[in-house]
Amino acid sequence: MLGKRLMNSTFLHFLTLLLFKQKSKHIGAVLISVIIIFLLSAVLFISSSLQHSLLSTLKTQADFSVSRVQAGKSVNTPLEWVDKIMEINGVSKVAPRVYGRYFFTPRENAFLVVGIDFFDEQNSEELKKLVEQLDLKTFLSSEGMLVGEGVKKFLSAHYFKDYFTFKTPQGSFKKVKISQTLPIKANLIANDMIIMPIDLAREIFGMEEDEVTDVTFNVPNDAEWDNIITKLHLMFYDVRVVEKREIKKAYENLYNYKGGLFLILYLVTITTFILILYQRYSMVYSTERKEIGILRAIGWSIKDILKLKFYENLTIVLVSFILGVILAYLYVFIWDAPLLSQIFLGSANLSNNVSFTPVVEFGLLGSIFLFYAVPFLAAVLIPAWKVAVTPPKEAML
Amino acid sequence: MIKPFFVSLGLLMMLVGMISIHYFYSDDKTSEKMLQNISSITQVSSASLSVAYYEPRVLFYEKMDNPAYPQMLSINKMDFVYAR
Repeated sequence: MLGKRLMNSTFLHFLTLLLFKQKSKHIGAVLISVIIIFLLSAVLFISSSLQHSLLSTLKTQADFSVSRVQAGKSVNTPLEWVDKIMEINGVSKVAPRVYGRYFFTPRENAFLVVGIDFFDEQNSEELKKLVEQLDLKTFLSSEGMLVGEGVKKFLSAHYFKDYFTFKTPQGSFKKVKISQTLPIKANLIANDMIIMPIDLAREIFGMEEDEVTDVTFNVPNDAEWDNIITKLHLMFYDVRVVEKREIKKAYENLYNYKGGLFLILYLVTITTFILILYQRYSMVYSTERKEIGILRAIGWSIKDILKLKFYENLTIVLVSFILGVILAYLYVFIWDAPLLSQIFLGSANLSNNVSFTPVVEFGLLGSIFLFYAVPFLAAVLIPAWKVAVTPPKEAML
Repeated sequence: MIKPFFVSLGLLMMLVGMISIHYFYSDDKTSEKMLQNISSITQVSSASLSVAYYEPRVLFYEKMDNPAYPQMLSINKMDFVYAR
């Protein structure tokens, strides 16, 4: 019934006729709109996807990490701090960390080397989930390491197919077997990562046996957090404490800056575009004026003309917006945002191919739509109304 | 022209539908789990930023410092405060 009424509607017939017959008039506006919406949506999709993935990894992170500072710089932390921190009431899961960047001088590239305790039950269980084919017994029988996808590619390109030779600060060489590659789905964190036994990492970094990079621990009771920080500062005078809540806050703001930069660019572009549109519709000799004049002359009311212009441009706005968002979705979540992802992940070291987890913030999309649709419609309807209220004879001149 | 209009509208809706299906049924749990596994093992949650060797890779733990020129002090706002 409704379908039949729609098909017989004179207004709809005239509206669709206008849209299809004046294709060339609308195609420019649609094309520019699609490009603007596509770019902004793509940037916002990337930033919200990265934020979502990074925040989800924070769940497994320790609440605090402490390291020793000397002359304002982080230096190796004494292992005995682990026992001292354990003595504080309310603290759990105290663990040392050994990590750092290994600089590969010939190509000026760096890897992130992380030493872990493979004998720790939780670590070995998580590793089995991560790298299914990993046989821990065979892995630990020789000096081996697990490398990220980016590291593997880089080493293979430099003829390190099965082994890599590290140069220690003492000048000696350490040959380490490349045992397995970390899954490509973990590339967001593990692309430039090398995981190896903690003692081997210490040897490569030239650290003493009683030294670690920093110490992490949990405080299950949130209310105790500030109290624990005070206790730490009373216990050690050369300590730097990094809290998980600080990191969480920083991750929430991390990509807002770059997203915000694009938002400013968007506002500048959309303002220019809207001004051009306004100019086009309010031109003295435009075809628009003539068209509105004819419609007024054959008896259309101002309301009818505004209704026609509103629906005509609403269709253009909706089509451009949907197309722009769809293209951005395909570009980011299906084709992994080539080029644009480099703005967020950098390109100065190993190249990183990240698959973005689909995250769409509908509230944000709604805001973009409003910021686009309202000025667009206003830029068309205001000149149309101005023409419609003038006598048809004048309008057609 | 109503028919071609509705055909184009249908095509657009079909695209929206396909994207919605991909969004709601995409396997984001596996990659999320993997990221959580790796960050749980290494206790590193920073994104693998492809940064130059003197820029911080593990955010909040590393400070910007150029290892090639350790003698070259970085300029901070305090330098300007005490410049005179």
